[in-house]
Amino acid sequence: MKALFERLKFHGLFIKMFAVMFVSIIAIAASVAWTNLRMTEKLFLDTFSITNSKVMNQVKNNFESFHYSNVLAAITAQQSGTLKTFLTDKGSDESIKEMNAYYGMTQQMRKIQSTVDAYSAGIAIVGKNGRNYSGNSYLTKPNARELYASPLTKEAEASPGKLMYHLYKVKGEDGQKPVIVATKVLQETTTDQEYGMLYITIDENDFKPFYSSFTSEGNDVVIIDGSGTVISSNHSSLIGSQNAQLLSYAQDIQDQGLHVKKVKMMGKDELMLAQYLPSYNFYLVNMIDQQQVLGQMVNTKSIVLLVLVIVLVALVVVFLISRKMTRSLTLLSRQMSKVTSRNFHNYVNVGGGYEIRQLGEAYNYMLDEVNDYVSRLVHTQQEQRKAELAALQQQINPHFLYNTLASVKFLVQQDSKDKAVDTIHALISLLQNTISNVSETITVELELVNLKHYVFINHVRYGERIRVSYFVAPGCSTYQVPKLMIQPFIENAFFHAFNERAEGFIHVLISCDARKLVCEVVDNGDGMDMKQLERAKDKKKQKKSRQLFSGIGVANVHDRIRLLYGEEYGVSITSQKGEGTKVRITLPLIEAQGSDTEHGIKP
Amino acid sequence: MKKVMVLLLTCMILLTACSSGGKDKEQAASGGGGDAKSKEITIWAWDPKFNIAALDIAKEAYNAKHPDVKINIVEFAQADIIQKLNTGLNSGTTKGLPNAVLIEDYRAQGFLQAYPDSFADLSGKIKPENFAEYKIGPTSYDGKQYGVPFDTGVAGLYVRKDYIEQAGYTLDDLQNMDWKQYIELGKKVKEKTGKDIISLDPNDLGILRMMIQSAGSWYLKGDGTTPDLKDNAALKEAFTLYKELMQSNTVKVNADWSQFIASINNGDVATVPTGNWITPSVKAEASQAGQWAILPMPKLPETPNSVHATNLGGSSWYVMNIPGSDTAADFLAETFGSNADMYQTLLTKVGAIGTLKEAAKGEAYTKPDDFFGGQQTVSDFSKWTAEIPKVNYGTSTYAIEDILVVEMQNYLNGKSLDQVLSDAQSQAEAQIK
Repeated sequence: MKALFERLKFHGLFIKMFAVMFVSIIAIAASVAWTNLRMTEKLFLDTFSITNSKVMNQVKNNFESFHYSNVLAAITAQQSGTLKTFLTDKGSDESIKEMNAYYGMTQQMRKIQSTVDAYSAGIAIVGKNGRNYSGNSYLTKPNARELYASPLTKEAEASPGKLMYHLYKVKGEDGQKPVIVATKVLQETTTDQEYGMLYITIDENDFKPFYSSFTSEGNDVVIIDGSGTVISSNHSSLIGSQNAQLLSYAQDIQDQGLHVKKVKMMGKDELMLAQYLPSYNFYLVNMIDQQQVLGQMVNTKSIVLLVLVIVLVALVVVFLISRKMTRSLTLLSRQMSKVTSRNFHNYVNVGGGYEIRQLGEAYNYMLDEVNDYVSRLVHTQQEQRKAELAALQQQINPHFLYNTLASVKFLVQQDSKDKAVDTIHALISLLQNTISNVSETITVELELVNLKHYVFINHVRYGERIRVSYFVAPGCSTYQVPKLMIQPFIENAFFHAFNERAEGFIHVLISCDARKLVCEVVDNGDGMDMKQLERAKDKKKQKKSRQLFSGIGVANVHDRIRLLYGEEYGVSITSQKGEGTKVRITLPLIEAQGSDTEHGIKP
Repeated sequence: MKKVMVLLLTCMILLTACSSGGKDKEQAASGGGGDAKSKEITIWAWDPKFNIAALDIAKEAYNAKHPDVKINIVEFAQADIIQKLNTGLNSGTTKGLPNAVLIEDYRAQGFLQAYPDSFADLSGKIKPENFAEYKIGPTSYDGKQYGVPFDTGVAGLYVRKDYIEQAGYTLDDLQNMDWKQYIELGKKVKEKTGKDIISLDPNDLGILRMMIQSAGSWYLKGDGTTPDLKDNAALKEAFTLYKELMQSNTVKVNADWSQFIASINNGDVATVPTGNWITPSVKAEASQAGQWAILPMPKLPETPNSVHATNLGGSSWYVMNIPGSDTAADFLAETFGSNADMYQTLLTKVGAIGTLKEAAKGEAYTKPDDFFGGQQTVSDFSKWTAEIPKVNYGTSTYAIEDILVVEMQNYLNGKSLDQVLSDAQSQAEAQIK
C-alpha cells in the first residue's frame, strides 16, 4: 500500500494532468454535443413550424377554393328557376310533363355538379314537395332522402342563410364511412320562404387530399368543427370523436394570435399550429410530434456514438502524450529526491524532452558546483583549523615560563646546581620541540621525551608526590603522533586529579595493534562521578579552562584527532569516583616519513 | 504501444460493424419493397353489393391457393373510375392506376382502341370460347383477348304478380309479349291498381338499347364506328314505342339510381325491364318475396328479327399493363377466367350470373328461387343469354346516347321522328370521327 502510494506520488503530476484533461474533454464533448443537439433541434423546429404555417396557409387556400366552388354551386342552385319549379310544383299525371320537369332539373343539376366535379363531390337536392335528386352519387354517397331525414337538415334550417358543413356517417357494408356534407337551405329570394335543401357531399377520403400531401409520420392534421368533433384527419380512427382539449388549444392559438403552441397530447410533446377556417367554422390543426419528427431528422444515437468515439480517441492520445511528457519529469524528480542521500553525488541521467534535458543538465552542473564549493570549503576549514592549531601549539603559556624560571631561581639559590641545570635543560628541550620544531607530528619517542621533560619540570616545581611512569610497547616508538597530544591529559591529571589525595601515580601506556596506535593516560587520583564527567565534557566544549602549558587543551584534542584522521579515531574518557581516571587516545598507525606535511587532509 | 493498437483496431472494427449493419438493413428493406410490389395488386370496381362482393369471393378463393399475394380491392363510383382511367391513361403515367379494373362492356372498346398498349393481352391466359359469345366482341380488340368476361347483362322483365293479377292477367298471358302489348298492359295496370308500369330516367335510354339489341341493332354499325341512327328501323320503332309509353301516362319518372331502386322496393311500379343484375336490389325488399316473377323481355312488334332476349350492361375485368400485371392476370385467370365452382358461390351469395359456359352446368344455376315463387331464374337467364344477338358496341355508345337523350326530349315535345333521328345522326357524325 505504502509502496503504491510512493509510486503514485511520483505520478502525481501525470494523474492531475490526465484528470484535468479527462474531465475537460468529457465536459467539452458533452457540452458541444448537447448544445449541438439543442441548436439543431431548435433550428429544425423553428424552420419546421415556419414551413408548416406556410403549408397551413396553402391548405387553407385549398379549403377556401373548395368552399368557393360550393358557394358557386349553392348560388346557381338558388337562382335556378328550373330547380325552384321542380322543387315546388305538384306532380303531374302526364308522364311527358313529368319527364320534361325531371329532364330540365337533371340538366340544371349537371351544370351545378360540374362546379364541384373536380372534388369528386356529390350534389343532392330535396324539395318541400318531396321531389329529390342525388347526382353523381350512385351508391357511394348518401342520397337526398337519407340526408333530408338526418339531423343535418334541422341544423341547417336553424341558420338558413348560411352554407354549413357537417360530418355525416354513412352506414355501409363495412362499417361507417365518414362524409362531409355542406348544407344550404334554398329560399325564395323575396319572402325567405324555404322550398328545399341543397346538399353537397364529399367523402372524407376526397377531403383528405386538401392536406394529406403535407402530412407525414409525426406530422398530423386534424380538422375539428366548432364543437370539438373531429371532422377529418389523416388518422382515420379519430374521425367523429370529440376532442374538447384540442378545440380549446386551437381557440387559444387563434385568440392569442400565436404562431405555434407547445402542447402535451396523449403523453407526447407536440407542436401545434392552428388556423381557423371561418367559412367552414372548422379549425385546421396541425400537430407535430416533436420526438418523432426530430428522431427522423437528428440521429441522436449516431451523434452520441461519434462523440464517444472521438472522446475515446482523444483520451487515448492525451493519455499517451501526457504520459510521455511527464515520464521524464517523474524520473527526474525521483532521482532528485535522492539528492541528500549521497552527499550531493546523485547525478541525474539526462534524457527526455529538450526542457527536461536542460533541467537535468543544469541540475548536474549545479551538483558539480556544489560539490566543488563544498570541497573547497572543507579544505579551507581544515587549513584554518590547522593554522589555529599551529598557532596554539606555539603559544607557550608565559606563566609556565615564569614559574619554571622562578623554580630554577630557587634551585640556584638552594645551590642545587645540577637540578637547576637539568631543569633548564628540560625547559630548553621542551621549548625547542614545541616552538622550534615546525612539523605538526612527531614520533612517539620524541613525544615521550617532551612528556618526560614536562613531568621533570613539574616535579621540580611541585615535588615528586605524583609519580609518572611510561610503558611503551616495543615497535611503537617510531609511529607519528600529533605534537603535544598527550601532554594536556598529563597536565590535567597533575592539577585536578589529586586534590583529595596527596600522592599517586600516572601511567602513560602506548601500544599498537595492526591498525591502531593506542595511548592511555591512567591515574589513580580522585576520579570523577558521572556529573563531574559530564561537566568536564561540557567544559571541554566551552573551552574555558585555561591551559597551563600551551594553548592546546584537553578539550580540542579529540576534535583535532578526528579532524586529522577521521571519525573512527579520537579520545575516550572513563572515570570512577575514588578510583581514578582513564583517558584513551586512538590514532592511526602513521610511519614517519621524510616530509612533515605528509598527513594532509583526508579527502 | 500495443494497447493503443488494440484500442484503435477495436474502434475500427466497431465502426465498420455499425456501418455494415446499416447497409444490410437497407438492402433488406428495399428487397422487401421490390418483392411486395409484384405480390401486391390493386383492383378497382364499383357497386359494393355486386362487383365488390364478387371480388371478395374471388380474393378468398385465390388467397386459399396463394396466401402470399395481397389483393387490395378499392371501391369507386363508376364515373370516378372512368375519369381516373382517362386521366391516368391520357397523361401517359401509370402511377396511381390499378393492376386490374372493371369496365362496362359498352365502354370497353373505347378504352381498348384508344390505349391498346395500356392493357395486358390475356389471350394466353384465358380461352374466349369458354365464355358466352356475345361477351367476346366488347372484350377483345384486334384479335387479342383483353378482358376476362364477368357478369352477363342478360335482361328480363321483372313483374309484380299481384299487380298484374289485379289487372286481370296471368303470368302465362305475358310470356313472349311485344312492346305494344306491354303498353296495353301498362294502361290496364294503371287503371286497375293506380300503379305505374315502369320507372324511367330521362337521362338513361337503357330501354332503347335493350329494344334495339333484341333486333341485333345498335347505335353504331357493325364496324363499331359509324353512327347508325337515321335509317335504323329498330331504333325508329324503339323511339315510337318510347313515346307511346310516355303518352300512356304509365311511367314513373326517376332522376337517379336511388329513386329507381326506391320505386321498385316501394311497390310504385309493376314491371322492371332491365338486366339481371337488378335481382339483389329487388330481393333486398324481403317483404315482397313471392310477389315477383321474371319473364322474357318483350320484343319489337314490327322489326322482324327481334327476339325475346337482350342485354343491358354487364362488365368485364381488364389487366393494366403496369408492374404486377402477371400477378393480376394470374388472379383473374384462376378465378373469373376458369373457376366454375367459384361461380356457384358467386351466384348463391351475390346473385351474380357469370358468362363462363361451364359454370351454367353447376348446381346453383338450376336452383329454384323462392323469392320469385320457385322460378328457376338463373337457368332462364342462362337460356336467354345464349339467345342474345351479338352486336358491336363500338367505342362511343354513351356519346351517342347523350345526343339521343336531348333529341328524345325534343321528340317527346313534338319534333318529328325523322327530323329527330337525322339531327342526331348529323351530331353523332360530327362528334365521332
